[in-house]
Amino acid sequence: MEIERIKKSTLNHLSMEAGEILKRVEEDFPDNPESMKYFYDLLRKVYCYRERPSDGSITIGTMCLQVPEELIYASGAVPLRLCSGAYSFERIGTGPMPARSCSLVKATVGMLRLVPDFYRDSLKALIIPTTCDQKKKAGEVIREMGINVYFLELPSRKDTEDGRAYWYYSVKKLVDVMGEITGRRLGKKALFNAIRLLNRAREEFRRFYQLRGSVPPPIYGKDAIIVTNAFYFDEIGRWIESLSRLNKELYNRINKKEQVSQRHAPRILLTGSPSIFPNLKIPLLIEETGGVIVADDLCSSTRLLYDPVVIDETASLDILLGAVADRYLRPCTCPFFIDNTDKKRRLLQMVRDFVIEGVVYQAFSGCYLFEMESKSVAKALESEGIPMLYVETDYSPEDTGQLSTRVEAFLESIKQRRRGLHI
Amino acid sequence: MNYFAGIDIGSTAIKIVLIDEAGEMISHYITPTGSNFYRNALQGFNALLEKRSIERSAVKYIVSTGYGRKLFKEADESISEITANAIGAKNLSGIDGSIRTIINIGGQDSKVILLDDGGCVKNFVMNDKCAAGTGRFLEMVSRNLEIEIDELGDYHFRSGVPLTINSTCTVFAESEIISLLANGHSKEDIIAGIHYSIARRIAGLARRIGIDGIVLLDGGPALNRGLVKALEDELMRDIVVPEIPQITTAFGAAIIAREAFLAERERVHA
Repeated sequence: MEIERIKKSTLNHLSMEAGEILKRVEEDFPDNPESMKYFYDLLRKVYCYRERPSDGSITIGTMCLQVPEELIYASGAVPLRLCSGAYSFERIGTGPMPARSCSLVKATVGMLRLVPDFYRDSLKALIIPTTCDQKKKAGEVIREMGINVYFLELPSRKDTEDGRAYWYYSVKKLVDVMGEITGRRLGKKALFNAIRLLNRAREEFRRFYQLRGSVPPPIYGKDAIIVTNAFYFDEIGRWIESLSRLNKELYNRINKKEQVSQRHAPRILLTGSPSIFPNLKIPLLIEETGGVIVADDLCSSTRLLYDPVVIDETASLDILLGAVADRYLRPCTCPFFIDNTDKKRRLLQMVRDFVIEGVVYQAFSGCYLFEMESKSVAKALESEGIPMLYVETDYSPEDTGQLSTRVEAFLESIKQRRRGLHI
Repeated sequence: MNYFAGIDIGSTAIKIVLIDEAGEMISHYITPTGSNFYRNALQGFNALLEKRSIERSAVKYIVSTGYGRKLFKEADESISEITANAIGAKNLSGIDGSIRTIINIGGQDSKVILLDDGGCVKNFVMNDKCAAGTGRFLEMVSRNLEIEIDELGDYHFRSGVPLTINSTCTVFAESEIISLLANGHSKEDIIAGIHYSIARRIAGLARRIGIDGIVLLDGGPALNRGLVKALEDELMRDIVVPEIPQITTAFGAAIIAREAFLAERERVHA
């Protein structure tokens, strides 16, 4: 009885929270692409009215981008990424989790505790990769809530033979687990088709990634975050179609030299902890203050979709599995891995490719991995003359006032630097 | 004669600075923010003009800054207090050498700003979530100890051994102070302890970005010599305090106003 009341009030808060963010996303920016409407409406349906897109397939939840979704599709189920960005859910997750843990983990726990069927009908299982400690231990809490949790084990290193062997073994084990859940044995054809399906989504995304980084930019970064967030729960075919429509519109905009922001808006790269709707606090602050996020390397956006699985059509099942495993291990730059050289390399590459003038690094309070790594990232960027703003924050809106001053000053310092110094 | 104004609407006080076309400071005005800061800022501005017998129409450009910057509609534009503070500090006269670090203690926040060789903002940190170690904290202390806020500095230098104040939260520190008083400790030692506790907090903030070159301290609390001494001890270096430390940021905003006006005029002529 009581839980029903909490649920009702939380979902009420969530509609308000999501509604307010969508209002800002749509109304504060006059030149949003028309094809974004599909994505705005989808989020509004799900978050404000709880109309969930479901086709009756078996749903497998994931709590991180490290779960090979090919294996889920190949066994006839659909993946559903459950990392939550809702402050309304975070408040519910604060009970079972320590006060100083990360907002994202708390919000996800809160959502699963209250409305495990938030996005779709019933969850058959939840796969949690053993990346950060908080997700691992949260998995135990979630299991106690009666959800079927499977831990997908990851090595701490990805640059060693041992690490790779360990990961291949984990992926093979996941194949068996998926077979048990769905009652289907993995076949080569099914895996091949799943790889092709996901690669199509990634191909469309890579086109988007390039278009978005054009000079001047045809779209704001907050929309890029929304597009990728929709991938978590949208039917994949419809998502690809909608993104393809958006890409065509962006392509036309670029040809007509239409831009969304002011011509000299500072070009920002967003990195660090993931931005997941409705937590668009930092991206919206940046773009409402006159900057534009033309690239990101968030695990909620670019890193989710950038890398394809590289295969050839004649490969055996084993080789296909190996290719899938590689795609998830090698390019991943999550700070939980030892050694972040390739994260820095990738960031610097983006800085050059997209003419980045400043980097904003957000770390959720309690995520010591992103907090610890910020210093070495700042140093690498500084050596290339790129300033970095480090922001430690969480889902609560209480620091918005102070943060807006900091973001504004950061953008001003970029402009000041650009003008040289006549004052 | 053309004039330019910078208006810094802070959480505690409104600071207004007027400069002339040569960039020289003509006059300044400081007034409490109060509950209706828009009215108070406007009244302050008019009072300043009246004091100097300057017509409103002679003020060609106004830049607002501080947390009320967006709501002051008389301004031609607004700028964040971090940029304004940096520009104001860089243009202060009477300071030898170039300032590389600015520590600003305001009514409800404190910040450390690093400047590069050219005087541009290179990096900055500020407290995000709480008012510990700010002017508001000192106000609470003087209220609890029943002394005037401008007496805090004198009390500091009469202290024998400063006490350790453990709470950095303003509300918890308040109860800590009351219990120290109840245990018979002197106001002098409590005050010096408070100053060191604030200084430690700010030094911690400064260490996050690293301090460099000449350190300038501004904001209202910089008038408190005891706090300056404590901060010098904690940072282990000397600190420069401008003559009127409250108005550096408003001065910076005025300089930006002048610059914007001149740039616009140039564009029109070209």
